[in-house]
Amino acid sequence: MIEIKGLKKNYMLGETTVLALRGIDFNVSEGEFISVVGPSGSGKTTLLNIIGCVDFATEGEVKIGGVNLSGLNDKEITDLRLNKIGFIFQTFNLIPVLNVIENVEFPLLLMKKFTAAEVRKRAEKLIEEVGLKEFIAHRPAELSGGQRQRVAIARALVTNPDIVLADEPTANLDSVTGASILELMKEMNQIEKTTFVFSTHDANVLKYAQKVIKIKDGKIVDGE
Amino acid sequence: MNLILKISLRNLFRQKRRNVLLGIAIAFGVMILVIANSFANGITDVLLNKLVARIAGHVSIAFSEKSNFNSPIFRDKEKIFSVIKNNNEGVREVEENVGVFGRAIGNGKADTIIIVGIDLSKELSAETRKEIEESFRMIEGTFQDLSRKDVENPTIVSEEKAKYLKVKKGDIIRVRYTNLFGNDQAARLTIVGILKNDNVFMQGVIFAELGNLKKLMGFRPYEIGNISITMNDAPKNAVKLANKIHSQLKPDIAVIYGQLKYNGKIINVSTLGFKTDDESKKVLEKKIKVINGEIDKVSSKKNVLINKTLFDALGIKPGESFEIVYKNKFEDKETIVKYNLTAVFADDEMTDKNIVFLSEDKFYETYYDNLPEDPKKIKDAFYPKANSSLTDILATEWILLKRTSTTDELTKKYKDMGKGKWKATIVDVQTMYESASDVLKLEKALNLITISAVLVLFFIILIGVVNTLRMTIRERTREIGTIRAIGMQKNDVRNTFILETFFLTLFASFIGIASAFVVMRLLSTVTFNVTDNPMSILLVNSHLYFFPTFLGISSNVLFILIIAVVTAYFPARRAANLSPATALRHYE
Ligand SMILES: Nc1ncnc2c1ncn2[C@@H]1O[C@H](COP(=O)(O)OP(=O)(O)OP(=O)(O)O)[C@@H](O)[C@H]1O
Ligand SMILES: [Mg+2]
Repeated sequence: MIEIKGLKKNYMLGETTVLALRGIDFNVSEGEFISVVGPSGSGKTTLLNIIGCVDFATEGEVKIGGVNLSGLNDKEITDLRLNKIGFIFQTFNLIPVLNVIENVEFPLLLMKKFTAAEVRKRAEKLIEEVGLKEFIAHRPAELSGGQRQRVAIARALVTNPDIVLADEPTANLDSVTGASILELMKEMNQIEKTTFVFSTHDANVLKYAQKVIKIKDGKIVDGE
Repeated sequence: MNLILKISLRNLFRQKRRNVLLGIAIAFGVMILVIANSFANGITDVLLNKLVARIAGHVSIAFSEKSNFNSPIFRDKEKIFSVIKNNNEGVREVEENVGVFGRAIGNGKADTIIIVGIDLSKELSAETRKEIEESFRMIEGTFQDLSRKDVENPTIVSEEKAKYLKVKKGDIIRVRYTNLFGNDQAARLTIVGILKNDNVFMQGVIFAELGNLKKLMGFRPYEIGNISITMNDAPKNAVKLANKIHSQLKPDIAVIYGQLKYNGKIINVSTLGFKTDDESKKVLEKKIKVINGEIDKVSSKKNVLINKTLFDALGIKPGESFEIVYKNKFEDKETIVKYNLTAVFADDEMTDKNIVFLSEDKFYETYYDNLPEDPKKIKDAFYPKANSSLTDILATEWILLKRTSTTDELTKKYKDMGKGKWKATIVDVQTMYESASDVLKLEKALNLITISAVLVLFFIILIGVVNTLRMTIRERTREIGTIRAIGMQKNDVRNTFILETFFLTLFASFIGIASAFVVMRLLSTVTFNVTDNPMSILLVNSHLYFFPTFLGISSNVLFILIIAVVTAYFPARRAANLSPATALRHYE
């Protein structure tokens, strides 16, 4: 599903070059539930961004579902994100002017291949699965953090993506809510058979992972 | 609803305060623009469409017989009307303008007046009737009273004039005036109505029925005065119509075909006139050779010449007289004129027909007073060959002045006309866009106000939109990153922001238009008392006059929308081009 070989990422910060990733190799197969752990600044977000096609590698090869990312133009990359990848962010990143169901419908509408009724039905199903049926017409500002992250999960899964990437999905939540979010992700991983990659620096949430990739200073220190 | 549209609209109402401020600025600009535009339109409407158009028409056909401005007469009404009838596209009203200056004597008081003819015989369009009713409010009597048969020369005068002349309805005023032919005349007019007249230009005007006035002035039924034509959509149609009418009023060579009687002989002859300006004299003297009679006075104004062919047939000697009899075009009668032969000429073109050749002064004296039958129907009548040099020096039915397009050209045309010393009737087809191009200049000046409003607005939008969008985009950077990550294409992100500006501008424009109407409404209720001030020309019944047009307003709004969208384009595109990873990392 995900094949990474010799991945390096440098950021230019004025005159200096920040070596955010310094050569990463690993593969993820379909349906896995994988965690990327490491201390702050170790390169987790950078790695997930590159897998999620919102950022690109300085060096090395990244393949998503067999497709090599280098050589795609912006439009193709955008389409790839829309169709193959779901995002869950640390800060939830819901669209504030849209209510719960509209937020969930949003990516489906961008795909432009379903009727309004199909879109509505699929969005409702996911909202129900994340347990927010009563909040369907609420705006994000009217929801708690945990509820927002559930909406984000529904939004990430609604397009039936191959991979869902979650960058520290629990960092802004208390531990109980965080745990329930991970439970939910795990459950969705089982129901929808979607590949999940999530990052965390919280050792407590590691127990949910099927496989853990530890990185430090842009390098994998211990894969298992 | 379209997704992008929905997000744009909702976002528009999200940053309430900032958008409201920009919206108010745009609305204010639009308001000023609409007011300025409507005011300029109002002035144009009042000056051009009401005043100038009513006095002179959008298109006018003016006549000066024998080049005399005081003889505005054309002897063949039918001819002019058939040309107009052939070109009636967009024509609303065709009016005959007849008026005469005179001195009116009332009860112990006298004053200068203009008698203007009103045509009561034809159906007026609703629009014209409304215009007339609005500008002339009758205090006593009605316009229809002008056609009364039970009193002598019915007339309607303004309230002011009646007061001054100390007359009232039913009284008689005596008027002294000069008729078309320069003869002093007197007439008695009976007052059948009195009207109120706010228009300073119309104070001296008294009205009479057109036919009646024409009779007083010496017109015969088949003769007409100056013609004015009002049109629908005049700016578009007037010049076109004038050009068409002009092209169909090209004059022909004037020929009187009749019988010459001399010493018991009767011979068919064509009588022609020759021009006597210096240029034509030279051509004429080269062209013909005098073989009998006064050689050095060939081109004198009193000359009566005949060609050799006719001379041989008649056996007449210079100094002897002969008569010419010809049928008239109107009234089924004949005209008889007597001429004294001054010379006989020979040339190479006028050999096979009998020709009497008169200086144009002499020729037109007869020709206009008693128009001959159309000689083109008669095979035997003489016409010069197509490109003969004679065509330039022969008298024509009338002289058609060139069309002009500006007041300057028009003035120059009239100056040249004075130099020409022509004797024929001069026919001039013009539109008010030439004769009133000074008024149009005023309109342009007023449009400058509009343009400055546009400029102010332009900067409001430029600065306002750019700044507002920049702040908005900064605020929403992470949101842009999110929707890009989820899979919205760059162009759609850009369009979201452009649409937001578009809707803001559109709503603001509607509010601006609505406030403009409110303000115009309020302004036009204020009364200004400036009757003896030239600025009063900008007022209608002492009020400001606004004339908003749908086209004017919608083009203004369109223009503003285009500026707003173009201005929004660049910051919106920059927002769309943000790298999603960078945008997602953005924290305020
Ligand atoms: N746009 C950027 N420009 C310059 N340096 C950057 C940029 N983005 C990230 N970095 C640097 O790259 C390194 C990896 O950052 P990254 O955000 O991937 O770490 P992280 O593991 O996600 O950290 P955290 O747990 O704090 O989120 C850090 O040293 C960071 O300072
Ligand atoms: Mg991070």
